[in-house]
Amino acid sequence: MDVFKRLATWLGITNKKATVLCVGLDNSGKTTVINHFKPPQTKSEEVVPTIGYSVEKFLISRISFTVFDMSGQGRYRNLWEQYYPETEAVIFVIDSSERLRLEVAREELHALLEHPVIKQKRIPICCLANKKDLKDALSDVEIADKMELAEIADDKPYNIFATNARTGEGLDMAMDWLSEQIMTIK
Amino acid sequence: MNVIRGYKKDDEEGGKSGPFQNLEKSTVLQEARAFNDNVLNNKKCTLILTKILYLMNQGVTLTPAEATQTFFAITKLWQSKDITLRRLVYVSVKEMAKIANDVIIVTSSLTKDMTGKEDQYRGSAIRALCVITDNTMVQAIERYMKQAIVDRNPSVSSAALVSALHIFQRGAVEIVKRWVNEAQEASTSDHLMVQYHAIGLLYHIRKHDRLAVTKMVTKLSRSGLRSPFGYCLLIRIACKVLEREERSSNNMLYDFLESCLRHKNDMVVYEAARAMVNLSNITARELQPAVSVLQMFLSSPKAVTRFAAVKTLNRIAMIHPDVVTSCNIDLENLISDTNRSIATLAITTLLKTGNEASVDRLMKQITSFMSEISDEFKTVVVEAIRSVCIKFPRKHHILMTFLANMLREEGGFDYKKAIVNTIIAIIEENSEIKDVGLSHLCEFIEDCEHIELATRILHLLGREGPRTQKPYKYIRFIYNRVLLEAATVRAAAVTSLAKFGASCEDLLESILVLLERCLLDNDDEVRDRALLYMEVLKQKQKSLSSAFILNPISVSVVGLERALLAYCSQPNDDPFDIKTVPIETTPYNETPKSIGEVTTGGSVIKSAPVASKHDIFVEQLSAIPQFSKLGPLFKSSDSPVELTESETEYVVRCVKHTYLNHLVFQFDVTNTLNDQLLENVRVEMEETEGFSIISYIPIASLPYGQPKTAYTLVGIEDNTIVSGTFLNTLKFIVKDCDPNTGEPDDDQGYDDEYVLENVDILLSDHMQRIVKPNFAASWEEIGEENQTEGTYALSSMKDISDAVKQITGFLGMQSCERSDQVDHNRTSHTLLLAGVFRGGHEVLVRARLAQTGQVTMKMTVRSKDLNTCELVAAAIN
Repeated sequence: MDVFKRLATWLGITNKKATVLCVGLDNSGKTTVINHFKPPQTKSEEVVPTIGYSVEKFLISRISFTVFDMSGQGRYRNLWEQYYPETEAVIFVIDSSERLRLEVAREELHALLEHPVIKQKRIPICCLANKKDLKDALSDVEIADKMELAEIADDKPYNIFATNARTGEGLDMAMDWLSEQIMTIK
Repeated sequence: MNVIRGYKKDDEEGGKSGPFQNLEKSTVLQEARAFNDNVLNNKKCTLILTKILYLMNQGVTLTPAEATQTFFAITKLWQSKDITLRRLVYVSVKEMAKIANDVIIVTSSLTKDMTGKEDQYRGSAIRALCVITDNTMVQAIERYMKQAIVDRNPSVSSAALVSALHIFQRGAVEIVKRWVNEAQEASTSDHLMVQYHAIGLLYHIRKHDRLAVTKMVTKLSRSGLRSPFGYCLLIRIACKVLEREERSSNNMLYDFLESCLRHKNDMVVYEAARAMVNLSNITARELQPAVSVLQMFLSSPKAVTRFAAVKTLNRIAMIHPDVVTSCNIDLENLISDTNRSIATLAITTLLKTGNEASVDRLMKQITSFMSEISDEFKTVVVEAIRSVCIKFPRKHHILMTFLANMLREEGGFDYKKAIVNTIIAIIEENSEIKDVGLSHLCEFIEDCEHIELATRILHLLGREGPRTQKPYKYIRFIYNRVLLEAATVRAAAVTSLAKFGASCEDLLESILVLLERCLLDNDDEVRDRALLYMEVLKQKQKSLSSAFILNPISVSVVGLERALLAYCSQPNDDPFDIKTVPIETTPYNETPKSIGEVTTGGSVIKSAPVASKHDIFVEQLSAIPQFSKLGPLFKSSDSPVELTESETEYVVRCVKHTYLNHLVFQFDVTNTLNDQLLENVRVEMEETEGFSIISYIPIASLPYGQPKTAYTLVGIEDNTIVSGTFLNTLKFIVKDCDPNTGEPDDDQGYDDEYVLENVDILLSDHMQRIVKPNFAASWEEIGEENQTEGTYALSSMKDISDAVKQITGFLGMQSCERSDQVDHNRTSHTLLLAGVFRGGHEVLVRARLAQTGQVTMKMTVRSKDLNTCELVAAAIN
């Protein structure tokens, strides 16, 4: 990895940095998603509920990501906004099997979008319909509908991907899309 | 780090203008926005963070909003991998945690760091984590803490142990108690600090369980520790245990202390020696081993070891000078030590232990470097001189000159106070030196900036001056005060002058002239005093001047205020009666301290005008309607009498209160049985001759463990009987109850009783001590016509000093004019006692004691109330 990075820097292809905010309700799988992208030797073996936030760095398709993995627990959600000003993309993780709290997730997402700092920014929103392997999981289309993604303002590119963070299924596709968006916006 | 180092260099070169001079809070906080940049500049961030920390440590306070904003900016620094920056972040998080909101947000980041691979992060992360975690959240990090305590890395383990202690002291007691096994494991660590910290934590967890602490100390001391710090801590813990219980019952701990004296580490040896010295009631023989190790330290090449040793020896010399004598030669060598603190302590120790011949030489030594040492050590020297004075009365002259020189030099209040106290003590002890001492003090007040000392000296001059051979020579000094000083000092000087006028007739005319001049003073108090004294002195009556000048009224100031308030609040045509005011209680043990026992401050206890025990009783008793008509409370007995053994079912203590014609017995009852509820608890007393029981005030309900009070009111029928014995029985209704809730099992109880010890009423219960600074004047004031006399053989007393103690205690009167100090070589002694009998009758007693085989006493009692006279005389029989 290190060798590639140096090589890439030398060639002048990389040195693009992006700060990304990873949010979503508690137990939706944010930390597991981030864990998937970390280099193998720094991966944590078990994932425990995040208290507060944690910051991770990794490199995907020539972009060096700095991800603020926020805690999704109710009492910490109001702290997300502290990290809005610097963010250049938002990853919103949704537990697609948890129908009951989908409404809560929708409110949180729209509250985020309505926040004055985010509202005036042109940043990509990447929704992940996680836990798609569970048998009562909703499809990404259903979730997009319930989450009212269509209402996202035109200046913000958005997309939704059905994922399984444990196996990594769907994640690479999502990140490819996100990288592309970041590159085009910059 | 590089940045900081770079600036340090600048600092040295550029003199005082450091990089952090004149920092503005708002600018720095503005700069802190750089933390939010997408690409962090580590060096810049390090510098800004340092600036913030610098400001906070200089006392600049951030508002919660500012702190929170800065804090969230700091949280973004976690993306940097720079070690210096990260460690600064930990420090700032700890600082910010006190003011900012939502600091809990960094929990995950910190837990990640503390379990991560970078050892440099781990310890600091633990410390920061424990600061930001409040007691309700400790549970969330418990797992990590347990792991960290037993971590192989000593810095991690130490950090976890210390943080655990902080959490424990913050109140999360129960959770930390669960970590005891991990702490136990850490206490066997090879690393010195880890072991030390583990023992500290273990002790605090078990602190309240005496048995567990003892067990821990014995176990750890037997297994042996690697860490000298651990040993020191263990010694301190052992001392605490030893202080709490009888030493004889815990020889094992004592042996442990002694074994530590043979430890190979100096620190442990010193700690053990010091611990033994500090043990109360240690004998000289037991101290011997400690002294010999300290003696070894005296010749140590390390200054700090020498200092420690000599300081401790100095303390021993106060209690057991003989033990230290063996170190004299080594101490002599230290007199010329280049470290002045060591030299001072060595000399003062030698002064306490050495012989008379060496005093001159040592004093000369001290004088040579007196100007080089600090006030604190000068005070040590003064204390030492004080003790030398008692040991070698013949050396007074040289010592007094030395003290006078010290008095003249610069020094703070405490230092001057120590000198003045010492001089006063010497004067009181030895009348030969009185003249010299007084004139030194006179000279001192000529240029004294401390009002408290000046008034004290003026008071002393007023008391002692008139009795010297040439009283007139002090007048000039005193009158100078009237001209030059502050109002408080002027008032004291006026009083002092008046005392000369009252005592020395040949000076009276001049004093009157001086007092007349004081009438022009612009301070009310000074003028009032001068006018009063002038009028009194003009009468030229001994009894008047005795009552108003030489022996002023001795009532409690708080009591007087209360009585006057009560008098003013209700319309009353009777004049105010000063006899209803409670008399100032002089604590029994406050008889002028023999200067042999040198207290650390060397100060004489002053009774501050705060609510005394007497006032508390007055408050409690006047709240009870039955007692409100008894008149003012005359006296309460000093300490409660135990009427039961201390470890029985019921504990009863009795305090006796004396009124004009009544006695009130206050019984403090404690129920120590948790399965009983007592009701209607009262102490029934059997009447005895001269006293009648009027009423009982029972305790309605007495649950387990809560002391409550019952009273018995007794009338004094016959004023010629002052003593008697009462038989007491505790009577009550018992109800069995649930030990946990305290609820009675059923409403039916049964009567029960419990026999208590007897209570004696003695003469001393009717007598209040008062101080007569000029006994002779009061003696004359009452006159010969009001006296009774008798001669007694005191066969039960072994010598005069014993007799003095017993008579004083028996009569409950105050010894005056230092007549309680008995010269051991003399076969005769005069004891002067003063007191006030119930009803406000002053009583004076002069007892001439002589020892010829057995002690005989000729006692003269004077009081204006003849009945009182006879009662006191009769009581001795």
